[in-house]
Amino acid sequence: MLTIDFPAILASSVHDIKNSLTTLRALIGQLENTHQDPKPAAFKQLEFETNRMNNSLMQLLTLYRIDLSQFNLAIDEHSATEILEDVVAQQSTLLSLGNVQLITQCDDDLLCYCDNTLISNALCTLVNNSQRYCKSKILLSVSQEDDYIVFCIEDDGEGYPENCMLSDRKQLPRIDLTNGNTGLGLFFTETITQLHSKGENRGFITTDNHSQFGGARFKLYLP
Amino acid sequence: MRETIKHILGSFGARLIIEAESGLNAITAMRMDKFDIVLCDYNLLRGKNGQQVLEEAKYLKLLPVHCIFIMVTCEQNQQMVLNAIDNKPDDYLIKPFNRQQLLNRIQRCYTRKQYLASIENEIDNGNLYQAIHNCKQLLQQNDKKMRLPLLKLHAELAIKIGDFTTAEVIYADILHERELPWAKLGLGVTAFSLGYYDQAVKAFQELIEQHPAMLDAYDWLVKTYELMGNDEYAVSSLNSAVTLSPLSILRQKKLALLAEKTENFPVAKKAYAATIKLGKNSIHRSSGDYSGLANIHLKSNAANEALKVLYELNQQFHDEPEAELRSALLETEIHQAKGNKALAQQAYGKAFKLNEQFSKQLSRELRLDMAKTFYLNGNSETCNDILNDLVKTNIDDNLFIKGIVTLCNTIIGGNYAETLLQQIKKELVDINNKGVRLFQEGNIRGALAVFEQAIIKTPDNHTIILNMAKIIIHDIKTSKPDPEKIMNAQFYINKAIQIGIPHSQISSLQTELDTIQYKTIP
Repeated sequence: MLTIDFPAILASSVHDIKNSLTTLRALIGQLENTHQDPKPAAFKQLEFETNRMNNSLMQLLTLYRIDLSQFNLAIDEHSATEILEDVVAQQSTLLSLGNVQLITQCDDDLLCYCDNTLISNALCTLVNNSQRYCKSKILLSVSQEDDYIVFCIEDDGEGYPENCMLSDRKQLPRIDLTNGNTGLGLFFTETITQLHSKGENRGFITTDNHSQFGGARFKLYLP
Repeated sequence: MRETIKHILGSFGARLIIEAESGLNAITAMRMDKFDIVLCDYNLLRGKNGQQVLEEAKYLKLLPVHCIFIMVTCEQNQQMVLNAIDNKPDDYLIKPFNRQQLLNRIQRCYTRKQYLASIENEIDNGNLYQAIHNCKQLLQQNDKKMRLPLLKLHAELAIKIGDFTTAEVIYADILHERELPWAKLGLGVTAFSLGYYDQAVKAFQELIEQHPAMLDAYDWLVKTYELMGNDEYAVSSLNSAVTLSPLSILRQKKLALLAEKTENFPVAKKAYAATIKLGKNSIHRSSGDYSGLANIHLKSNAANEALKVLYELNQQFHDEPEAELRSALLETEIHQAKGNKALAQQAYGKAFKLNEQFSKQLSRELRLDMAKTFYLNGNSETCNDILNDLVKTNIDDNLFIKGIVTLCNTIIGGNYAETLLQQIKKELVDINNKGVRLFQEGNIRGALAVFEQAIIKTPDNHTIILNMAKIIIHDIKTSKPDPEKIMNAQFYINKAIQIGIPHSQISSLQTELDTIQYKTIP
């Protein structure tokens, strides 16, 4: 019988694709430098799409590992400001290409307990989406609400469609992946947020259209 | 990719940027220049992987204390899978990353290193007490972001000097605030170090249940089972850890040895084979892995398989006494197993010669093997010499002494081991008493000379090292202050920590020395 070592194949495929993505992005960067400002709009789209491919790969692999109990959540104390800095850095190329303004707001002393790589990756995915759906502005903020540290992303776009709404925090409805293909980012974020707990309290997310700028609002609660 | 990164680093103002397309070239470059920053991809094209580069660089001391080593990986999980037992980079960076991400990471590592420099420099010099002192001073500055990292460092240092109660208090306090996996692990480690093995096992098992991929917890669980004498459990826990991190050579090696000890030959065979494969690019490669595998084949009555491994061993190692000796020993056993008496005798003769020539350079495990072979071939005199020396140099290492006793009881029998231990302990006591008597008579020079001689013969003996430090400190107090003598005293205190003498016996010496130092060097 021929056996296939699927984990090894997945890991090595991801490795290949990531290397290709890196090369692709470097080439795009070189090409971009040959153009004067304002640069063709296609560059923004290219950056967005490569970001999205990368995020999807990362989510695929993490969810796969979690499913196999092979994932080690590396929880430690982290500065909320540093997590925001990571998100802004990751989005910096895309930001430089468009007219979107990404504003951050955070008390410098705020500390949170989490796997910072996972949380910042999740936030990156969502901010990347916001950049596509907003008109001109995204606010990324962190604050303390009771026993939770709350990461909040608000934009001035059209808001979430009905099937992406998740406002009742008590019922914790699972995002339904079978309904269309747009929910993977939220599904991933919800899954990894729930892995964070303190005593009885678990992390959770909410989505609604109560952004202070009139668009979508996403909140991630860490206990 | 290297081109892009080089470009980015250049734009940050880096002056000397060296590229290497393989692990081997990276090591060569690090030999030529001392770098401030090393960016290393885990997935290198051929030969060594990034982890092997890091291990080798640390082993060869190619990285200055202030150097920032960042490992570039493909996915977050890779950090875990490749996790070696103790060589961790300063940070990881997942590709693809852009200019800003790279800059952020370097800046953060730099700030952190600068902040902790006063501690890390002392650790690097082996002055752990001073490192703890500096750590406490930084804690007093009340930097909220650095509080936990400093407490973690303080607890780790406390464990290193054997001050387990301090470490226990720190970890318990942290856990009171928050259930952090590393603090829970630390609490397990202190329980282990204080000899509360059941408590330690419970802590590590709980951690594994909550974090099924936490490799450190497995490693400590294995260590605890081993000291409890529960080797079967140790093998099974280690096997789980190896399944999670099949690329860690040290875990594979340890699994091979433990499985061999419990006569679990299928597991041992697999682990030895993995160790050999990983060893091809690793600083941890050893001829012992080959002879280990061959021995398993011999024990499974597969002499021809063993012969193949022996051939491979001879192909892989040249001009290495330890490998040649292992090869000769193995050849002796293989020919004995196959009934070729003349060839076995010839190989044995070669082993005998090599042992005479290199005996002092060989690892203690190999020397123990030699002693066994000599005895079984009727040369009890040489066997006796080796055992005598091994007991003398390892008298305070309980696990190793236990191994010697077991071996003696199996092959020699009688009360050989018992008598040998008694005799050597008496010898050491006599030397020590002689030194102490000279000291009490006021003959400091004579006493120092006796202990210096003793240290050459038994470099790791606890009593002798401690007495040496005491006498030097006394000498400093009663004569003119001499920086060289102070350095010498600090050397023996550091040595005492390194060989695991408990905190309770060292701390007063360090305090005395500190008092002298602050008086003489304001």
